[in-house]
Amino acid sequence: MEYDENGVSIVPFEFKKEIFEEAKKDFRYEEYVRGCLNCGVCTGGCPPHRFFDFSPRIVLQKCKSNDPALVWEMMDEYIWACFQCFTCAMICPFLNSPGGVIAILREIAVRRGFESAKRVLKPYSRVLLKLTAYGNQLSPDMIQPDFFPDWGPHIGYASQDLPLKRKAIPMPTLQVTNLAWDVAPETMKELYTIFDEAGVFKIIEVVDPSLYEIIMDIIDDVRSS
Amino acid sequence: MPENILVIGGGPAGLHAANELAELGVSVSLVERDAFIGGNPKKFKYKFLFPDLQPAENVIGELIKKAESNKNIRIYYSSEVTDFKENGKKFDVTIKSPKGTETKTFNSVIVATGFEHFDPATDSKYSYQLFDDVIDIKDLEKMMGEGNFNRPSNGKPPRNVAIILCVGSRDRHVGNQYCSRVCCTVSVKQAIELKEHFPEMEVYIFYMDIRTYGFYEDLYWKAMEEHDVQIVKGRVAEITSGPDNTVICKGEDTLLRGPFEIPFDMVVLASGMEGGPQSPEMSKKLGIELDEHGFLKPANITLSPFKSNKDGIFLAGACTGPKAIVDAIVEGGAAAMNAYIYAKKNAQ
Repeated sequence: MEYDENGVSIVPFEFKKEIFEEAKKDFRYEEYVRGCLNCGVCTGGCPPHRFFDFSPRIVLQKCKSNDPALVWEMMDEYIWACFQCFTCAMICPFLNSPGGVIAILREIAVRRGFESAKRVLKPYSRVLLKLTAYGNQLSPDMIQPDFFPDWGPHIGYASQDLPLKRKAIPMPTLQVTNLAWDVAPETMKELYTIFDEAGVFKIIEVVDPSLYEIIMDIIDDVRSS
Repeated sequence: MPENILVIGGGPAGLHAANELAELGVSVSLVERDAFIGGNPKKFKYKFLFPDLQPAENVIGELIKKAESNKNIRIYYSSEVTDFKENGKKFDVTIKSPKGTETKTFNSVIVATGFEHFDPATDSKYSYQLFDDVIDIKDLEKMMGEGNFNRPSNGKPPRNVAIILCVGSRDRHVGNQYCSRVCCTVSVKQAIELKEHFPEMEVYIFYMDIRTYGFYEDLYWKAMEEHDVQIVKGRVAEITSGPDNTVICKGEDTLLRGPFEIPFDMVVLASGMEGGPQSPEMSKKLGIELDEHGFLKPANITLSPFKSNKDGIFLAGACTGPKAIVDAIVEGGAAAMNAYIYAKKNAQ
């Protein structure tokens, strides 16, 4: 993928148009993008706006511009700066949802396996694995400095002596560090069906083919057990 | 025998309508829910009116004096219309006053029930009633009317003041999509008054669009050029408490600074106008139409803004939508003329 001087990936205008049309066709789009008077309430209340060059008002304005090139400019980095907290949608006086539009654009990026989506999802591959293959979410052994640098300076301490710390939790735990909770095989099989029907596995295959292979092997084992 | 005409509401529109009709020799009954006449300008002690900053007393005081001194006008204070029936081309109306209940027949009716100031406490992001130093335009108008320009929290002069426009207007969250028309000009006027009183004070106006339409624009220029009022494009997203007994306005300056968090000594919310509970009440009692904004709906918004959808019932002033006092007075006159014509035609 080639990028221009602003870090925007270079693609033909026709492709930008196709992506914008895909977003507009989403059944939620009309509900999320209404009138905008540039009042700036959304950006004023936006948490990531305090840390990054990110403004929900700009997201909505670019969509309102009907210019596919402006919308495409956001696909590489901009849309991934959003926390998806939906404060913007909550406070917009005109009931727009910039966060909602971002969700639509992100889903397109994921479905189509854009480089940006792959890059952003890479650190989450272990979460995806636990979630889709084991019906678990974060488990204690996943808390490691390399994977969660944004958890602050105490992540190193937090990741040590996990079995001991697990025992110190004053409530029933599984006393293991690789699972957050126990999931019965029947439940797991049901989950696989749901993920299958919802197209989750297909998306994982697009953004991370090697992770997909691993998940499929586990699923085959569980299903045949 | 003179015609009988009922005017409901004793604000600028209703008073002017009553005065005009009385001059024509009509016997006017003016029903007013408050114990005084003069409407919101009287109730909230408006002091100076835009665009020329003339004393409100010049206008409101004059209207009240005329109405109170004209023997053709009977004013029912602290009263309400309790029953309303059509009687051929006339109307049988029961008026309940502290002195008792009476039923009269009227040839025509003028509804001038006005507006209510939006209550900013219903929109939590402005922290109105949470912090003493967050007030709204009617509070400031009243304070200035009493010669008080100081902070409510400690009685000291504010070093800086934020004025926030479009509070309760142009906001679908609170159900008011419309523009209240006068708040921009009132706010610019108040900014000038504040600066004239405290020239050293910083005044910021946070806006989406400044709607000082027509000649009111002169005030906008004046505020900027003569008083250095800071006019910032960006709606305030949140008001929180700040250090040293200040209140912080948080938002986005969409043109210049980007995100801002500025501590102020005082915040003035330019709360807009609402149809109030009286509009649906009139709609129900008199069988006239209510619009989607919660105001009474004229038969034809352009051709006859002073006529209701029902023959013989006329509308005047802010009951049909936000408007300036001058427009309310003009409509009072127009409704009076139309009510008079209807009464004359259907007198028998």
